[in-house]
Amino acid sequence: MTNDVILQVQDLQTHFFTRTGVVKAVDGINFELKRGETLGIVGESGSGKSMTAWSILGMVPHPGRIVGGAINYLGENLLEKSRGEMRDIRGSGICMVMQDPLTSLNPVFTVGDQLVETLRLEYDEPKRSLRQRAVDLLANVRIPAAEERLANFPHQMSGGMRQRVVGAISIARAPNLLIADEPTTSLDATIQLQYLRLLKDIQAETGAAIIFITHDFGIVARMCDRVAVMYAGRIVEQSDVEDMFDSPAHPYTEALLQSVPDLDTDVDTLPSIEGQPPSLDALPEGCSFAPRCPHAWERCLEYPDEFTVAPGHTSRCWRSE
Amino acid sequence: MAATAIAMEGTQTAGEDALVRLEGIRRHFPVYRGNLLRKRTGTVKAVDGISINIMPGQTYSLVGESGCGKTTTSRMLLMADQPTEGSIYFDSRPMHQFSGAERRNFRSSVQAVFQDPWSSLNPRMRVDQIISEPLITHQKLSRSAVQSQVQELLQVVGLHPFHGERYPHEFSGGQRQRIAIARALSTRPKLIVLDEPVSALDVSIRAQILNLLKELQATYELSYLLIAHNLATVRYMSHMVGVMYLGKIVEEAPPIELFTNAQHPYTKALISASLPAHPRQQREEIVLTGEVPSPLNPPGGCAFHPRCPFVLERCSSDVPVLRQYEAGHTTACHLYE
Repeated sequence: MTNDVILQVQDLQTHFFTRTGVVKAVDGINFELKRGETLGIVGESGSGKSMTAWSILGMVPHPGRIVGGAINYLGENLLEKSRGEMRDIRGSGICMVMQDPLTSLNPVFTVGDQLVETLRLEYDEPKRSLRQRAVDLLANVRIPAAEERLANFPHQMSGGMRQRVVGAISIARAPNLLIADEPTTSLDATIQLQYLRLLKDIQAETGAAIIFITHDFGIVARMCDRVAVMYAGRIVEQSDVEDMFDSPAHPYTEALLQSVPDLDTDVDTLPSIEGQPPSLDALPEGCSFAPRCPHAWERCLEYPDEFTVAPGHTSRCWRSE
Repeated sequence: MAATAIAMEGTQTAGEDALVRLEGIRRHFPVYRGNLLRKRTGTVKAVDGISINIMPGQTYSLVGESGCGKTTTSRMLLMADQPTEGSIYFDSRPMHQFSGAERRNFRSSVQAVFQDPWSSLNPRMRVDQIISEPLITHQKLSRSAVQSQVQELLQVVGLHPFHGERYPHEFSGGQRQRIAIARALSTRPKLIVLDEPVSALDVSIRAQILNLLKELQATYELSYLLIAHNLATVRYMSHMVGVMYLGKIVEEAPPIELFTNAQHPYTKALISASLPAHPRQQREEIVLTGEVPSPLNPPGGCAFHPRCPFVLERCSSDVPVLRQYEAGHTTACHLYE
């Protein structure tokens, strides 16, 4: 059972030490990921979702620091690893799929060079067999005439092709975990669909787990098995994806789901969430959503504990107590 | 040219009452090669013969992928660019015949709200200066009249009068977009061009802004030209939707009709590619291969035929024209002839 769990994040805290004070970008979050599972981390800008990803990769930018908790990857705590060890884990075990797949290739090297460069880290083999592996990889992501394509520069390929090449590079070292940070924000709808399908194909083939960092519940509905909603550095609700859409427990999730227009139904006025997302250096006391919450009461001056509302479904709201 | 003539018949349902009427608009950009011996090597047909009517108090939405000509169309409407061919009528007057006074009047009647409120507001200007700039340009008002209008505008868009003394960086994205809307409203326009007005905002803020835009439309009888890629937003906001592909309108219908009864394969593909609102919701998946071809060298016949899953033999040679499918619903596809 526990063998299936490849990533376990426990009480992770990533804080930024700025001149004006400590900003708690990630403030004690917990989640688990099983092999082949897809987790969506949903949140607005400043909710800490991207910083969660950077923390897992060990690449928190200055002046941020992981100040507490544990990130257990295949039973080992990543926070105890040296820089060299982390460098090896990134790419071979945990891999980031870049936000903009169309600009993350190097324009002055051929696609073949860039693939071989990655493969060389994994396999100590002569160049010829590395090139063969590169051809296999490109064929894997359904690039026709893979052999000829190796000599192409990125600008000679179409956007969709480049996307596939980036996909091929990210699976070159057979990672166990892919982290996709807003992978489709800059893409057109039909291209976005192609890309999401590519990620699903890669997952089916390699059995990798995927974490989607996104603000779009549509992507969650389309792609994810589980979902964690972040607000102001904490996970306020976490559950299976269908459960979350059927019966959201946290008022923030509920309001967010209602405020997104739906292509298949008509409404006169969308229910909207009042107010603005909080700024992390001036968080309200107690529950950080309370100032915008229609159900707020005195209890909310104290930060809510995590309550289990159904098996595998937790919510940080006093109403779920 | 015959194609445009027929195309117009289909869409010209109530052209006489329209606030804005675009008739056979084309915008072609020449492409040159070389610096010293410049040679014209081709033409980008950014907009290639579109005819639409924007009714008073209504929202017309243009949807389509990047490079399909949505923004070029809106630029011509804002008089930031001129069509190569065709005419734009504003209040039944052709824009290219405007007198100086008409032109000034037009410029204050048509305003715009852009996608990114971080770059569309001048960071060195105070909010009251930003909002009053169009007022001072277009109207002769005393200083106190300008001030009181600014205060009123701030309240109309849901901000406080004291916000006028601040600078844009002191506001969040949603508030900045409200400032941009107040600026657009200041000249009492009849038409506002909304170019992706919410896609740069946080999800929890989008509904606020969409609702504000709807309220303002009802209060001031505004017309909107909405450019958006999120189909659900388009359905929520619009009265009429035009689907564009490579400079042409391929289908046009009111939103409910369009999203429940789409006919053109490209519209169907766009709908099937939009993300579901619930994990159990299944869409018929039409996966398009490839991507939008370069407008420099568009495919012959129907521009969509290389990606179309229902392609017929004649699609590569004949250009389909817009035909009425049902009342108020037109589509340009050989499948429906």
